[in-house]
Amino acid sequence: MLSPDVLQKLISIVGPERCKTSREDLLTYAYDAYVREFLPDAVLLPKSTAEVAEIMKVASTRNLFVTPRGSGSGLGAGSLAKQGGIVLSFSMMNRIVEINTANRYAVVEPGVVIGEFQRAVEKLNLFYPPDPGSANVATMGGSVVMNAGGMRGVKYGVTRDYVLGLEVVLPSGEVMKTGTVTAKDVTGYDLTRLICGSEGTLALVTKVIVRLLPKPKTKRTLQAIYNNLDDAGNTVARIIEAGIIPATLELMDQTIIKALEDFAHLGLPLDAAAVLLIDVDGEPETVEKQAAVVAEFCKSQGARDVRVSQSEKENEQLWVARRAAFGAIARVRPTCIIEDATVPVSLLASAIKKILEVGERNRVQIAVLAHAGDGNLHPFFLCDQRDKEEMARVERAMDELVDYAMSVGGTLSGEHGIGIAKAKYLPRQLSPASLNLMRGIKKTFDPQGILNPGSFLEHRA
Amino acid sequence: MITKELKEEVYKCIKCGLCLTPCPVYNLLRFEGASPRGRVQLIKKILEGKMELSEHFQSLLFTCLLCETCTANCPSGLKTDRLMKIMRSEIQERLRPDWPKGMLGNLLRDKRRLPFFLFCERTRENLFSSQEGKSGPLGDSEFFRPGSKALRQQVPEVNPVPEPKGKVLYFTGCATNYFFPNVGKSVIKVLNRVGMEVILPRGQMCCGLPLFQAGGRKKALKNIRENLKLFNRKDVDAVVVDCAACGAALKKEYALILEEMGEDAKPAKELAGKVMDISQILARSDLGKWLKPVPGRVTYHDPCHLGRSQGVREEPRNLLRRIPGLELVEMAGADTCCGGGAALPWEHPDVAAGIGRNKVQSIRETRATVVASGCPWCRRQIGENLDEEQIRVVHPVEILAEALNEK
Repeated sequence: MLSPDVLQKLISIVGPERCKTSREDLLTYAYDAYVREFLPDAVLLPKSTAEVAEIMKVASTRNLFVTPRGSGSGLGAGSLAKQGGIVLSFSMMNRIVEINTANRYAVVEPGVVIGEFQRAVEKLNLFYPPDPGSANVATMGGSVVMNAGGMRGVKYGVTRDYVLGLEVVLPSGEVMKTGTVTAKDVTGYDLTRLICGSEGTLALVTKVIVRLLPKPKTKRTLQAIYNNLDDAGNTVARIIEAGIIPATLELMDQTIIKALEDFAHLGLPLDAAAVLLIDVDGEPETVEKQAAVVAEFCKSQGARDVRVSQSEKENEQLWVARRAAFGAIARVRPTCIIEDATVPVSLLASAIKKILEVGERNRVQIAVLAHAGDGNLHPFFLCDQRDKEEMARVERAMDELVDYAMSVGGTLSGEHGIGIAKAKYLPRQLSPASLNLMRGIKKTFDPQGILNPGSFLEHRA
Repeated sequence: MITKELKEEVYKCIKCGLCLTPCPVYNLLRFEGASPRGRVQLIKKILEGKMELSEHFQSLLFTCLLCETCTANCPSGLKTDRLMKIMRSEIQERLRPDWPKGMLGNLLRDKRRLPFFLFCERTRENLFSSQEGKSGPLGDSEFFRPGSKALRQQVPEVNPVPEPKGKVLYFTGCATNYFFPNVGKSVIKVLNRVGMEVILPRGQMCCGLPLFQAGGRKKALKNIRENLKLFNRKDVDAVVVDCAACGAALKKEYALILEEMGEDAKPAKELAGKVMDISQILARSDLGKWLKPVPGRVTYHDPCHLGRSQGVREEPRNLLRRIPGLELVEMAGADTCCGGGAALPWEHPDVAAGIGRNKVQSIRETRATVVASGCPWCRRQIGENLDEEQIRVVHPVEILAEALNEK
């Protein structure tokens, strides 16, 4: 609970409308897309960097916990007030400040939704590649502090590869700039890329500078349809090995295909064991050639059919459906926990086999989706969180999967982050030295430990 | 009241958030309590007994256009709009309704009170006289002119044609009857021209949709039953509506509401099969050969209750395209709610106005001189938010009636 005088101070910064403390409002900031809920004591909705700085001055003086939040689409409780305190929602700081076509960069406030930003730059023939499945929900700020990946990772990399600079508010309330608008910058430690991926534990991002690419002239979407999940997995490894770099390379299994078809009615092949959704983009001639090569390749690896989209609209419909996968899966079971362990791409097929085996052993229904091109698995654990016994089995299955990923040189999380969902596994991947160094960095930024308390570094098993 | 299936419905929400950005209200207000996901969370907490019904919850629940965009966008197939509608009814029964909703309930379920109220009030500035747009371009809204009469007082009950090709019942709805009689006359004129006998059954009542939306579905049972009795006739080819909201009520809401209330929904389903929007019935006719050129530039706004509720999107556009010389230009986001739904202009005028401004901006960008829409609430809302510019706001059928050639 915040004391009345603290509350009064906060209200004097943002006004009563943007300081929410009723139980109804707090309940609507208690969740993200993970399965846990934590009730904050207050929700503040600042509209400017100055307001954020003022809030942090009060928070640091009074030792108040502050947890930043974008759209609340995260998958690990990263933006929830795990130890109470203030949730700082950036949804009202959503202006695109500048799109600089001459130097190909843009400056945005953290609450801008990624998809809206992408559409805005594409109107100017520019391109912002990072493309998480939740792009139409998630914010730029959220994607920066989580270092979001997404579907174009295989060719274009992740958010970190595009962030040039930041404006941040430190826990003390001090405003700091990192990076520049130029493509090259080796001045001092790279704080930009340190804060990117820090899960909101180091500083509050209030502006983001990102670099942009010229928009690829054309794009083709291919659907390679398989009767055998193994063949689909092997195709992916072979494509990468062969030096073909598609813009996206997504794998979905039958459960996902069925849920998506149920939602979007696109005529997806319901009898297929797996579908690879592949984008190739670039100059028209190259795209034509590459599409043909990829199609042939898939067939040679056992695809029973390869469909090539005929129009931009058809491309779009397929990707709208793909983006809905997480939500659509709730048609099967009410709770879905997504793992995102990532393995070297050559092991994709055996990793999928392992997932299915783990699911069977623990009697857990698992649907498999993957940003396959970069080995980023997304097994969906389908369950009902009201069933305690089932949830225990899910937990066991996840443990086994993490063990497997670690044993083959993979990583705990490719792109969703650690949050509290995977915190207990952290020591399995990071050495004590590495963890200590990270805790030291945290302490330097946030000596009082008021920013996003209860996050991955503080978790004790 | 809340069925088991709907209680289970809330667990379909996986909090993915895909309903946030498409929601016109969230987009404007940008806090979670104004989003469909937020409201579903609160409804879940109430159903689980973890939160009490409260005035604040009521206010959040009614900061919603019931435009059904969330339902259309929900990947897990959660019927968000049904949940909201049922909760509105729950809350009105358990908390006392505020006075405007109470008054609305008393007016709309009585055949005599509504005309009397409108008669007394039309000379004064009040809630209802804001029906007339600021710039006054709302079709031919003659209601507020002295001596004007309601549509059903102006035209006969039966409007026959020689050698009829068919016979239809016309459900005029209150808005056409009292505020937009020219829309009604246009419907009759155009249907007559394509060989339809048009009957306006006397004694028809308000469809009840404004009552359902205000949470008064119990009160509206009388309207549903009376209308079902009057319009479920075997001797007619169709029941025609010109109003998107009335159409949604007769085609969808009656049956759903009766089912949700545990009542017999069979008569409602029978009627639903016969109800047609005016654009649907005209799309099947030979209207094209009766149309003379009307030069101009028109844009079309999809009413939520026609596009999303009834799936009628192409028919009105195709009809406008059939008029020679008339150019149809698409506006950006034609099917985005205009902000006029679910009495939001009265519940939260500032929110409705904010959403209305976006809509009007899209209309302006088309440089059309006419905007057509088959919903009186959309026309009112668009008219209200236009400045003093000369953009005419009409029902598509009014343009069609004007385009009819001499026989």
